[in-house]
Amino acid sequence: MTPTVSASGLGLSYGRTRALDDVSLRLTPGVTGLLGPNGAGKTTLLRVLATAVPADRGAFTVLGHDPGTSRGRQEVRRRLGYLPQTPGFHPDFTAFEFVDYVAILKELADRRERHREVRRVLAEVDLGDVRGRRIKKLSGGMRQRVALAAALVGDPGFLVLDEPTVGLDPEQRMRFRELIAGAGEGRTVLLSTHQTEDVAMLCHRVIVMAAGTVCFDGTPAELTARAAGRVWSSTEKDPGAKAGWRTGTGSFRNVGDPPPGAEPAEPTLEDGYLLALDDAGTEVAA
Amino acid sequence: MSAVLVEESAPVRAPLHDRRARAVLALARFEARRLLLSVPVVIAFVAYVAWIVWRTRDSWDGHPVLQDADRATQSMPMLVGLAVLLGAARAVVRSERHGTEHHFSVLVLRPWHRMAGHALSVVPAALLTAVCVAGQFGWEALKAGAVGHGSPAELAVGPLTVLAFGALGVLVGRLTMAAFAAPLLVVVLLFVFVLGTGPSGASGLSWLAPVVATTGPDPLPSDLLGRPAAWHALYLAGAALSLALLAVAVAGGRTAAVRAGLVLSLAATVTGGILQAGGATPSKELTAARERASVHPELTCAEHGGSRYCAFPEWAPRTGTWAGVVDRVQAVAGGSAHDRPLVVRQRIDARYGPGTDAAIPALTGAGQVTVGTAWGGNRVPEFSSAVAAVLVAGSEAAGSELCDGRMVTVMWLSLSWQDDPMGALRRVRLDDSVTGSAIVLSPTDPLSMTEGQTDVVRRLLENPPAGTGARVTEHWAELTAPGVTTARVAELLGVPGPKKADSCED
Repeated sequence: MTPTVSASGLGLSYGRTRALDDVSLRLTPGVTGLLGPNGAGKTTLLRVLATAVPADRGAFTVLGHDPGTSRGRQEVRRRLGYLPQTPGFHPDFTAFEFVDYVAILKELADRRERHREVRRVLAEVDLGDVRGRRIKKLSGGMRQRVALAAALVGDPGFLVLDEPTVGLDPEQRMRFRELIAGAGEGRTVLLSTHQTEDVAMLCHRVIVMAAGTVCFDGTPAELTARAAGRVWSSTEKDPGAKAGWRTGTGSFRNVGDPPPGAEPAEPTLEDGYLLALDDAGTEVAA
Repeated sequence: MSAVLVEESAPVRAPLHDRRARAVLALARFEARRLLLSVPVVIAFVAYVAWIVWRTRDSWDGHPVLQDADRATQSMPMLVGLAVLLGAARAVVRSERHGTEHHFSVLVLRPWHRMAGHALSVVPAALLTAVCVAGQFGWEALKAGAVGHGSPAELAVGPLTVLAFGALGVLVGRLTMAAFAAPLLVVVLLFVFVLGTGPSGASGLSWLAPVVATTGPDPLPSDLLGRPAAWHALYLAGAALSLALLAVAVAGGRTAAVRAGLVLSLAATVTGGILQAGGATPSKELTAARERASVHPELTCAEHGGSRYCAFPEWAPRTGTWAGVVDRVQAVAGGSAHDRPLVVRQRIDARYGPGTDAAIPALTGAGQVTVGTAWGGNRVPEFSSAVAAVLVAGSEAAGSELCDGRMVTVMWLSLSWQDDPMGALRRVRLDDSVTGSAIVLSPTDPLSMTEGQTDVVRRLLENPPAGTGARVTEHWAELTAPGVTTARVAELLGVPGPKKADSCED
């Protein structure tokens, strides 16, 4: 019995820039959200966990396998599904061919078994009807689902999704959330996103990163709770607030340390996220 | 942080190496299917098959010599090879072009495994080429007039060329990772190997080219060809394997097996290259054998209808066909020529190897006729002209010096029984004309016709007067008498004579 992912002290530098600094985490089945501003190190962490780049420091295991060794790395890759931030496609391939190709690269060698698996994952992402269509003729949302199918093929125990909902319209994003929620049943999913709504709707856990470090690791409710008593409304933007913005009602919503007598407002996950970043020393503005 | 423990989900699978090897083969199948269905490869194969059908329907006029027919399978696969090169290179750079490399790099099969898959993906194209080669050669071999022996090494050149070009495409794709590199290379190779005249095979270096298909007008017996075909096949196979393994090594596959394979394949390439270069120069034994075959050949003889037919062993099945021509010529001859025993001897000049067109001197012995190693088409009236000349003049040498009216008799004997006498007259003359003076081809020294003789022969063949055959028999002595004029021959045969008197200067 081993945890799905267990990392301690992960570090990675690009020149003088510390992209990851002493990151430790343990991931369990279900969807874990990874929030953070641009440059926080989310994609770097995902690439390290996906064995795309090795960490300079620290160690981690996936399903008990150490990717620090060649054999271990291969074992991790056998159990990994990875959807990169900007997945590439072979436009002349059909959806089926592309996922089939990825399946072969995942060592699914038996043709009949592999094709059955490819049909299964394409049906799972609701692309069964267009599996024979060339990728260049698919919409952006469909392509993203092809990429998800490619990540899901082979039934990996650990799924790494790097901002999968970027660029999708609200309807497509909602559809994608359903798919991710389904994918998270029975396997461990690490979902990097800028969308706190994604985390609120999908994740049983959330990790917030800033400047290469983990500044929060807990449940969405715990992150939201961090903002309890630190969100208030006012008729003018409060200059003492960490962040503040005019809402649809015309009043200002402020986040930070409220002045005496301020009118408290119900905190959200996003408020908690902003405050977590602020607590980590990252400038937040809204 | 939570610490829920989970069971490892990966199922128990086949042993690691077995699983990886099967995945590489699956990838090779996937890429091979795409390669074979790619537009350039489909076009190349369609053109190749169309060329085979077009060429083989009436190649060698239905009388192929298989030690030449095998080399005829070598040139067109180069076109297929160039298409495979293009397709293989495009497949290799596909991930780089479309930005999937960063994704695929975290999948289980490593880049060099993928490269091995790409290298293996060209094998089915080579196998398909082998099927085409077998079809083309088998078609030739099944023709009723086929003689000789094909060489497996020569037949392997086409498929090995496709294999080598495909492996080159994989390597070029891997080294450059640029989409334009392979098309540029194809253009260069197209000019060098396909559209160029091709290497002659005379120098050792010329054998570095994939195809060295020297063929001359007169096929040689297979043991006199002197082509280092087996070494060339080894050289091509080694080169193909070296290129493929080099691509795998460049992609990171520097395992002991790959390195050992690379060393062995390079050794095979170098060995084949050196030995084929050495084989390009005829050995003393081969030179002596060629000399013997040219001057005192060891022939197999057979009797047909009183005449003797001597052929190189590989041509022995063809003596019956020659006898058929001799019988037809003698059937329209008169006097003693009607059943004079002849000796038909197959002769070649092999001293300069294949690909040369050396003249064979006429025989001076009475009743001896030369036949070459090629047959069908123009070779039939050429041979029948030689037979007729010997029947009329006594010997080949005497026949080549005919310049009187006997030439009309010769051409009547040679052509009157043919299915298309006028067509045969046209084809047997060097300038393909049926008017004026002309050289008449024969297996040895040519004969010549004056304008007047041509006119008379044409009249005889176009509208032979009734009873021409009987007149030939009746007046045989005069028709074959030295010094008989063309006018007198025309008169005897019942057609208008020439306006001018005979002149050997015509």
